[in-house]
Amino acid sequence: MIGKDKLFSTFEKVAKASKADETEIVYIGTNSGLTRFANSTIHQNVNEINAKILFRTVLGKKIGVASTNSLALVDLKATLGNSIEIAKCQKENKYFPGLPGPEQYVEINTYCENTAAFSPKDRAKQVKKVFVRANRRKFTAAGAFATGDGEIAVFNSKGVRCYQPVTSASLNIIAMSDTSSGYAVGLSRKVNDIEAVALADVAVEKAYLAKKPKPLAAGDYEIILEPAAVATLFEWVNYIGLGSKSFIDKTSFLSDNIGKKIMDETITIYDDGNDTSAIAMPFDFEGVSKKKVYFIQGGIGKGVAFDRISGCREGVPSTGHALTANDHGQGAIPLNLFIGAGQKTVAEMIASVKRGVLVTRFHYINGFIDTPKAVLTGMTRDGTFLIEEGKIKHGIKNLRFTDSMLRAFSNVRGISKEQSLIPAWWESVGCISAPTIHLSSFKFTGTTDF
Amino acid sequence: MKDKLNNVLDWLKGKSVDYADARYLRLESESIRVTDNIVDTLTKDVNVGVGIRVINNGAWGFAAVASLSEGEIKKAANKALQTARASASAKKTDAKLAKEKAHKDFYKSPCEKDPFAIPVDEKIGLLLEISDRLRNNSKIKTAEASLDFFKTKKIFCSTEGAEIEQDLIESGAGYTVIAYDGKEVQKRSYPNSHRGDYATRGYEFIEGMKLMENIDRTREEAVKLLTAENCPDAETDIIICGSQMALQVHESCGHPSELDRVLGTEISLAGGSFMQLDGLNKLKYGSDIVNIYADATIPGALGSFGYDDEGVKAQRAPIIKNGVHVGYLTSRETAPVIGQTSNGTMRADGWNRLPLIRMTNINLEPGEWELEALIADTKNGIFFDMNKSWSIDDKRLNFQFGTECAWEIKNGKLGKIFKNPLYTGMTPKFWNSCDAICNRKYWHIWGVPNCGKGEPMQVARVAHGAAPARFRKVKVGVSK
Repeated sequence: MIGKDKLFSTFEKVAKASKADETEIVYIGTNSGLTRFANSTIHQNVNEINAKILFRTVLGKKIGVASTNSLALVDLKATLGNSIEIAKCQKENKYFPGLPGPEQYVEINTYCENTAAFSPKDRAKQVKKVFVRANRRKFTAAGAFATGDGEIAVFNSKGVRCYQPVTSASLNIIAMSDTSSGYAVGLSRKVNDIEAVALADVAVEKAYLAKKPKPLAAGDYEIILEPAAVATLFEWVNYIGLGSKSFIDKTSFLSDNIGKKIMDETITIYDDGNDTSAIAMPFDFEGVSKKKVYFIQGGIGKGVAFDRISGCREGVPSTGHALTANDHGQGAIPLNLFIGAGQKTVAEMIASVKRGVLVTRFHYINGFIDTPKAVLTGMTRDGTFLIEEGKIKHGIKNLRFTDSMLRAFSNVRGISKEQSLIPAWWESVGCISAPTIHLSSFKFTGTTDF
Repeated sequence: MKDKLNNVLDWLKGKSVDYADARYLRLESESIRVTDNIVDTLTKDVNVGVGIRVINNGAWGFAAVASLSEGEIKKAANKALQTARASASAKKTDAKLAKEKAHKDFYKSPCEKDPFAIPVDEKIGLLLEISDRLRNNSKIKTAEASLDFFKTKKIFCSTEGAEIEQDLIESGAGYTVIAYDGKEVQKRSYPNSHRGDYATRGYEFIEGMKLMENIDRTREEAVKLLTAENCPDAETDIIICGSQMALQVHESCGHPSELDRVLGTEISLAGGSFMQLDGLNKLKYGSDIVNIYADATIPGALGSFGYDDEGVKAQRAPIIKNGVHVGYLTSRETAPVIGQTSNGTMRADGWNRLPLIRMTNINLEPGEWELEALIADTKNGIFFDMNKSWSIDDKRLNFQFGTECAWEIKNGKLGKIFKNPLYTGMTPKFWNSCDAICNRKYWHIWGVPNCGKGEPMQVARVAHGAAPARFRKVKVGVSK
């Protein structure tokens, strides 16, 4: 950890030399480790100390971006110079409203000493416990245990000084029998929240229940989606529809549906970077404080996330969802997503199903088929079950779904009270908080051999 | 730099490690994108560091540091050693590597025009002109054009005495146009979707892409799709264009032939493979005309290099021969499982990542057909053009692809255009239904710059040579 004072004093020194009208420096430092295991042995065990320092310099309305991974003063000054040279080559961006000034952001603790100090030896110790639990059923275990700490800082010449130290820990486990698999995942800022044995038991029990899976014909089924399945669906729904670029491009299902009912009235989807029950992050990569944004509220389309450029284009303020400057072409994307909870228990949901399918998670979803209708396709994976007369009967072979999420989530039969944190690709600055959801209709369009 | 790497390897030898290698890598990248006549991305990045891989007491450790100081590199070496010791506490068997000559060599990829030496103004000008012309229709909502360039310097040294330097330059470009009429949204791209086509070549590759010549067709096809019918639901014969065939090879042959997947070590993220060891030299993967091979030696192809990231020389290796599965993509650790030495496919996406088995150029051999003759030979069917969506199960059996558009084939002629086309199938059944592949005139090596694998996630630049091909009785149009 470099620390707030040292980082900002370095950036003050560098920015003083800037000949640009406005200068922004974003620092993302990481010190991470990941222990990967398969066939109940550790086969990859990696550590990384790295940083990304991004300069955004502004000449009038021309913007230049350059980045480096070296904090050496000479490299920082060279990168600043590069960004100014790029800005000189740029065309004016009429939608650029200038860099933001300082604003108050919520002070939250996103750092845990224990997580930062967690060593490869500590990870190996936990992973061995997973192997023991899997071996009790004569199964093997695969997965990854990642821990790390980092610092995120946003500095600009208009006075923005945002700093957030962060940690994250995640463990995913797949228990493997000869005919089945089961999955469990844990995510937290605090490594002590990751209960390796409990997660292993969930994965092992799923693999055990799913043994010798039977085929089920493709078709329209009532379905119960566990949190990992819900999160992977909404990771894609987010990507194709909740950000500013897809909204402006008219490829988002929200582009022509603001104020209209597009899902069941029990569905509410929002982003809240300040909610510490998930992986919180109080400001974005422009130094704008994160606002709570509703995308779908009570089934009604409400809006999307904006950064400063896309907000200016649409005549609205930034919601605090800017990505780093090298990705501003992608527009704003929500990173702290919540799928609103309901009132039911998972047991109540299962008990109410006459004939349906329970899905643990999905694999290789793709949402580019027909984005205005939010049509997704993907495969079930690591624990798919037939439910009959209110009880889980047996494991079934994996199925392919192809369905509009607007259609599927317009027929909700129940949502669980409990929510789980599911990692996404932006793990250190956010995640998806998802409940279990019971739908009356979900279209499976294909089958496979296992 | 070589001395610094060898010094740290000497230090590790003093600690009696079984094996170690050290990789220095400097990656310079430039990305430019114009959206609707605005340059919304113009970035340059420099990324430098050293990664150290150690086998100690039969177990692996890896550590990487964004520093070139000998002190920091030694600290990283010690971290890798300590991590290997932690791994050893949970090992079943000892990690062992297949024999490999300790090469001392220098490799440089072909490049006539350094893209980093081309003035930024010139590159922006090209994209602005494309964007402007793409917008020449009131139904065009968004027009995007992009250029990407990568310059990599690598130095690899090992405790076995290898010393390999490599200089690589990669270039890519493409554009996409989105049409909207108040109800429908459709897109078309050129020369391929997902940011275009890429090669391990210089700016001369961009100049040869015929970017300007395809603007009008691309734009007007996007507009035409707004009023097109949906692709019908049917079981029918299909012809797949070359760029989509590249992705078909990628997903249904490239990934399942990675031996680490077969051995179960990628289960936690990407999954396993249906191409199991007991099927080697037996599994009838495809019809007799299907021949697929890995070849990292093709000058200028995106998956080409001199040596992989564990010091193995680039090679050509068969994967499917006359329809039979005959080979895997291997590494020094996995190849002995099938009684072989590595065929050189271990690559990392940076100094900070562990090398994994990655596709190189996985190519489908061209056949004999002229495309026009193939269409004329197809009584009824659908022609699928350019990827839009992709999905496949975790053993690479059940796949479903969507393309940007498709055309009806009726009585041997292309007919009306279809929107939102999909086709789906099971890999071996699908490839066994392949009865025609177009000839070398239609064969092109498509650069795929975004192949994801591993934890932490790594993105590899790979490629696939392919030509249009025909498949019989395929399920299409399942989007309703």
